[in-house]
Amino acid sequence: MTRRLPAATRFLLVGAALLLVLWALSFAVAVLRPSAFARLCPLGSDVLRPDSSVCALAFGGVWISLSVGLLAGAAATVAGFGVASIARIFGGWVDAVLMRSADALFALPDVLVLMVLQFAAQTAGDLHPRLRINPVPLMILSLAMVGWAAPARLFRDRLETLERAEFVGAARALGAGHWHVLNRHLWPFLRDYALGIFLSRVPAAILAESTISFLGIGKIEPMSLGRYLGTSYASLLYGEGVRIVLPAWVLLILIVLGASLAGRGASALAEH
Amino acid sequence: MVALPLSLGDENKRQLSPDLVASYRRDLGVGEPLGFLRPWQKLVQGKRLGTSSQGVTGAELLTKLASSMAVGLVAVVMALCWAFAYALLRWSVRRAQAVAIEELVPALAFGTPVFIPALLLAPHAVEAGHFLPELAAALVISVWPGIFLGTLVADSFKTELAREYVRAARSKGLSQRRVMVRHVLPNVLPTLLDSIPPVATALLAGSFAAERVLGLPYFGQLYVLAVLQKQIAVVVVATTLFASVLVLVRLIVGLARWLVDPRAREPVPGETTP
Repeated sequence: MTRRLPAATRFLLVGAALLLVLWALSFAVAVLRPSAFARLCPLGSDVLRPDSSVCALAFGGVWISLSVGLLAGAAATVAGFGVASIARIFGGWVDAVLMRSADALFALPDVLVLMVLQFAAQTAGDLHPRLRINPVPLMILSLAMVGWAAPARLFRDRLETLERAEFVGAARALGAGHWHVLNRHLWPFLRDYALGIFLSRVPAAILAESTISFLGIGKIEPMSLGRYLGTSYASLLYGEGVRIVLPAWVLLILIVLGASLAGRGASALAEH
Repeated sequence: MVALPLSLGDENKRQLSPDLVASYRRDLGVGEPLGFLRPWQKLVQGKRLGTSSQGVTGAELLTKLASSMAVGLVAVVMALCWAFAYALLRWSVRRAQAVAIEELVPALAFGTPVFIPALLLAPHAVEAGHFLPELAAALVISVWPGIFLGTLVADSFKTELAREYVRAARSKGLSQRRVMVRHVLPNVLPTLLDSIPPVATALLAGSFAAERVLGLPYFGQLYVLAVLQKQIAVVVVATTLFASVLVLVRLIVGLARWLVDPRAREPVPGETTP
């Protein structure tokens, strides 16, 4: 008799599998066998790029959108954990200042802050060519700078709760330092929680990136889903909008659904 | 189609001309004491921010902001309609279907960036005119905040209705309507008030893509164009204005919460009162 997996584990596995399959297929289509999709695509060729099929352009953008989202989510989670650790180690006014900064950043829309960061970095790069950053790392860095606030707040509150536990008090009474307590005693309780936070940041990062790229502010190459839609804008004039927009929309929803499911599963596992 | 193309820009345009660099320095007062206030000084003096015809005066900026906020207010009404409809749907469905509705509808709403429904509506709305682009923009930016509000309302009512004070009030003979109005609603109201700032943020953030796609010459489009055309002074002033609107919304919500919720007026434990 087979034992049914808990709902949280099923969510995590289904979400992670969906993301993995989408990434691998997209990478294979876009990088390894770009000609295969051109022959099989039922949606025909792109209006502005007649030598490329709609399938290849839309599906080929999945791996870059997903990669940017995963890397930005990871960077935001690490940064958030770092800020939360500093806030808890120093406490007092350092804690207050860091958390108020996180709250202030959290109150602003991601898209606005991203536009400002991209604008500042691009202008700095134009004025001083030595400061010019490649669009992909720039987008990941900008997304991480926008996304650290929520993880920092969540990690800080979780750390505060965990630090009240008796085993932490006992370790401190025996002379353990902040780093030792964090690394040996608190981190094992934070691993699943960190995974949940990381996965919950991924869809937000992908959506923010797609909006910025769509608006033409982020110039990611190879094209992400958002940039593809942004550059295909003129096809609406020829009544081709649905053929161009719908496949990319479905793929974006699938990515967000996969990351949300996996994030929900990981968060539920952490609660147990 | 007003705003074509969105991002087929030539990378060579990023090589700035000496004139443009000089205008950056002039606009931002680089090297001058309190030079960062230069855009505001120009604004107060009624001068045009930015370069040549792409710039904007303070009066134009405020008009565009007011227009965007008017679209936002229509979107708030639409978001409330979405919220009410979604909360009703969650109440009316059977338990087996509830999971699908509670999971799929928010995922669909959250997973759809504003520009996608805007792109689908644009060919029909832009040509028609007669405030249809404004209504289409309000519609597309209201979906996610509406579903978010609906989830919050449904969950809050569900939690409050399960509490003991509701059962106690009912057992003392109060009608369901009176229990809802006198007891449940005041307890749900603070949660609803707390949701206003994120909803306002989402609505204003959605206006960037919606106005750009639907060709509305308001604040959202102005901001995106200022970033694309590297109008530093316009970006500085518009960002500050945008953030000020959000701060103002939070301030008003904070005051309303202080008036409505007695718990907000209680001192925080550990804090000493003078």
